[in-house]
Amino acid sequence: MKKFLALLLALVMVLSLAACGGGGSAPAEGDKTTDASDPDSIEDSVTASDNTYEVAFITDVGQLKDKSFNQGTYDGVKLYAAANGKDYKYYQPANGDQATDDDRVKAMQDAVDGGAEIIVAAGFMQETAMMSVAAANPDVKFVFIDCDHPVADANGAVLDNVAAISFQEEQSGYLAGYAVVKEGYTQLGFAGGGGGTNPACCRYGYGYVQGAAAAAEEMGVDVSINYTWQYGDTFSASPELQTMISGWYENGIEIVFSCGGSIFQSITAAAAENEGDVIGVDVDQSFESDTVVTSALKGLTEATTWAIGKFYNDEWADIGGVNTVRGINDDSVGLPTATWSLENFSVDEYNTLVSSLKDGTLKVDNSVLAGGDIVQAATDHVTINYVG
Amino acid sequence: MSFLIRQTLIYAVPLMIVALAGVFAERSGIINLALEGIMIFGAFVGVLFVRLVQQWGWFDVAKQMDNWVALQGFVLMTMVVAAVLGAVFSLLLAFAAINLRADQTIGGTALNLMAPALVLFLIRLIANQNTLQMATGDAASWFMLKKTMFGFDKNAELGFFASTFLDKVYLTTYVCILVFVILSIILYKTRFGLRLRSCGENPQAADSLGINVVKMRYAGVTISGALAGMGGFVYALTTANCASTGDVAGFGFLALAVMIFGNWKPLNIAGAAMLFGLFKCIAAAYASLDINGDGVFLLANLGLNANFYRLLPYLVTLLVLAFTSKSSRAPKAEGIPYDKGQR
Repeated sequence: MKKFLALLLALVMVLSLAACGGGGSAPAEGDKTTDASDPDSIEDSVTASDNTYEVAFITDVGQLKDKSFNQGTYDGVKLYAAANGKDYKYYQPANGDQATDDDRVKAMQDAVDGGAEIIVAAGFMQETAMMSVAAANPDVKFVFIDCDHPVADANGAVLDNVAAISFQEEQSGYLAGYAVVKEGYTQLGFAGGGGGTNPACCRYGYGYVQGAAAAAEEMGVDVSINYTWQYGDTFSASPELQTMISGWYENGIEIVFSCGGSIFQSITAAAAENEGDVIGVDVDQSFESDTVVTSALKGLTEATTWAIGKFYNDEWADIGGVNTVRGINDDSVGLPTATWSLENFSVDEYNTLVSSLKDGTLKVDNSVLAGGDIVQAATDHVTINYVG
Repeated sequence: MSFLIRQTLIYAVPLMIVALAGVFAERSGIINLALEGIMIFGAFVGVLFVRLVQQWGWFDVAKQMDNWVALQGFVLMTMVVAAVLGAVFSLLLAFAAINLRADQTIGGTALNLMAPALVLFLIRLIANQNTLQMATGDAASWFMLKKTMFGFDKNAELGFFASTFLDKVYLTTYVCILVFVILSIILYKTRFGLRLRSCGENPQAADSLGINVVKMRYAGVTISGALAGMGGFVYALTTANCASTGDVAGFGFLALAVMIFGNWKPLNIAGAAMLFGLFKCIAAAYASLDINGDGVFLLANLGLNANFYRLLPYLVTLLVLAFTSKSSRAPKAEGIPYDKGQR
C-alpha cells in the first residue's frame, strides 16, 4: 500500500510539473522577431541593466492585454521606448477591478521610485491619485489619457507636469453609427462599460446615436437602438452579459457596439452564437473576432507616442498643465477603412463625411449623457430602448 | 421560449454535473469543498489544451472544411483531458483526507485557495495577461452546433424541438446530461454504487464485510475530481467564450449549495440546478424574453427594477430551502476520517 501511495504521489507531482512545463514553454514564440512598427512583437516587460525605467505606464481597471484601451495606450509606450532606446515598465494597481485611490497612488509611487521620468496613466479614474503623486513629484511628468480637463492639486493650482489628453469619441461613435445605418442595419445595440459614468464611453454612445439618427433621417428609415450599461461596470466579461446580448440578437438586433474593454469577449461570444455583428472600440478589433464589422477608433497609441515625444523633444510646455483634445483634425478618431467589412457604405462616402467633420460643416454634440439620459436623443426616426 | 430553455441549460448543466461531483465525494464519506478549485483548474486545463491544439494546427483542416464532426471530437477530447487532470488534482485532497486523515474542510479550502493562484500564475507565464483565450476564433464558431450542420437551410423555420435542442447548442450539454444519467444509475443500481454509499454511511460496517474503504473513498474523490474538472471546462466553453481567468464566478460553491439543496440525490439535484439556472437566465435576459411568442416582452413591461430580477435566483433558493431543509439528510459518515479501530 505504501509503495502504491508513493508511486501515486510521484505521479501527481510529475504530472503537475508537466503541466507547468507545457505552459512555460509557450510564450517563447513571439520574441524572436522585433519589428519596431508592430507593438505586439515588442516585449511587454524589459529588464533594465541599471534597474531604472524611464517610461512607466499605469493601467486602468481591466487588464493590460484587454485588446482595447489599456493595450492600445501601452502600445504607444512600447513603440516610443523601443524606437528610442528607453527602458519601460507597466504597473498594475493592486486589487484589479476594485482598485482604490490608495492602490493607484502606490502604483504611481512605485513608478517614481523605479526611476520614471515620464508616467503614462490611462483612465479618468486615476485623477485623485495623480493629484497627490504629481504634486509631490514635480520633476516627473505625467501623461493622463482620457482626462478632459487640466489637473489641479488639492489647493486648486494647476499642475504643470500633468498633460491631460482626451479624445473626441463622439466623432468616432458618430462615424460608426452613420456607417452601419447606411450599410443597411436598422436594429442596433449599444453595450457600454463603466456603468454609465465613464465620460469617454458616454461620448461614444451619444455620438453613435447621433450618427445613426443622421443616416436614418437621410435614408428615411426607422432605426431602433437597444442601449445599456448593465453588466459592464468593471469592463470585464461575464456570463450574464453574454446571455443578455444573446437575447438581443435573438430578438432581431443585428449589430451591437461593444464599448468597454473586455466586455468585448462576452459580446463577440453572443454574436458568434447568433451570427450577429459587432462594432469594436478604441483599437481595430477586427483581428480578434470574425464578428467585428468595423471599430470606432481613437488614436491611443499615436497620442501616447506623440505626448512622450513632446517630453523628450523639450516641447513639454505645449501640453503640460493643459487639456489637449485630439479629434478628427489630428486623425485621432475614425474608422479603419482598410479592414472594415462594410459593403454598401463606401470609403468615398466615409471620406466625404470625414472632411465635413474636419471643415466644421458637421458638428457632433459632445455632451456627456450619463446613465439613462440617452433617451433624450430619440428622434422621429430613432427609437431608443434603454435597458437599465 | 427556445431561447430561455437553451440559456437555462447553459447555466444549469455545469452546476448539475459539479453538484453530482460533490455527491460522489460525499457519498463515499469525503467532504469535497474543493469543487470550485477543481473547476477553476479544469477550466484552465481545457482552455490550455484547446489553445495548444489550435497552435499545433491539428484541426485547421477540419475547421476550414467545416468538418463539424471532427470539431466535436475535439471538444470531447478536451473534456476528457480536463476530466483526467481534474481527477489528478483532486488526488491531493484524497491523499490528505484519506491517508493523512487531515481535516477535510481545511484540505478542500487549501485547494480552493491554491487553484486560482496557480492558474493565474500559469496564465501570466503563458499569455502575459490575466486571461487565457483560444488561439484563434470564437468558441461558438469552432464548437457550437448550428442547424446548418444538420442539413437545415440557414433561414429555415424549425419546429420547437429542433430549434431548442439542435440549434445554437453545445455538444457538451448533452454529454454532461448523459454522463449525469449514467453515473446516477451506477450510484444506485450497481454493486460498486452501493459499496460507495455504504462507506459514506457506516464505513466500519462496510469494512467488516470486506469492502476496502480506502479504495472506495479514493474512487469517490477521483470521480468527483473528474466531473468537477469537466464541469469547469464546460463552464468556460459555454459561458466564457472558452477563456480561463482563474475564476468560475463561484459556480463551484453554487454547486455545493445545489447538492445540499438537492438532498444528495441526483434527481433532486437536476431539478435544483434547472431551477437556479432558469432564474439566473431570467435575471440576465428578462428584458428580451418573449415567453409565449407574441412579441410582447412581459417581464420588461412590468417595470420592475433590474436588481429585483438579479435577486430572484437567490431568493427562490432561500425560499425552497426554507421549506425543504427539514427533510435534508447528509451522508452520516461524511467528514469523519476512517479509523478502523473505531466502532
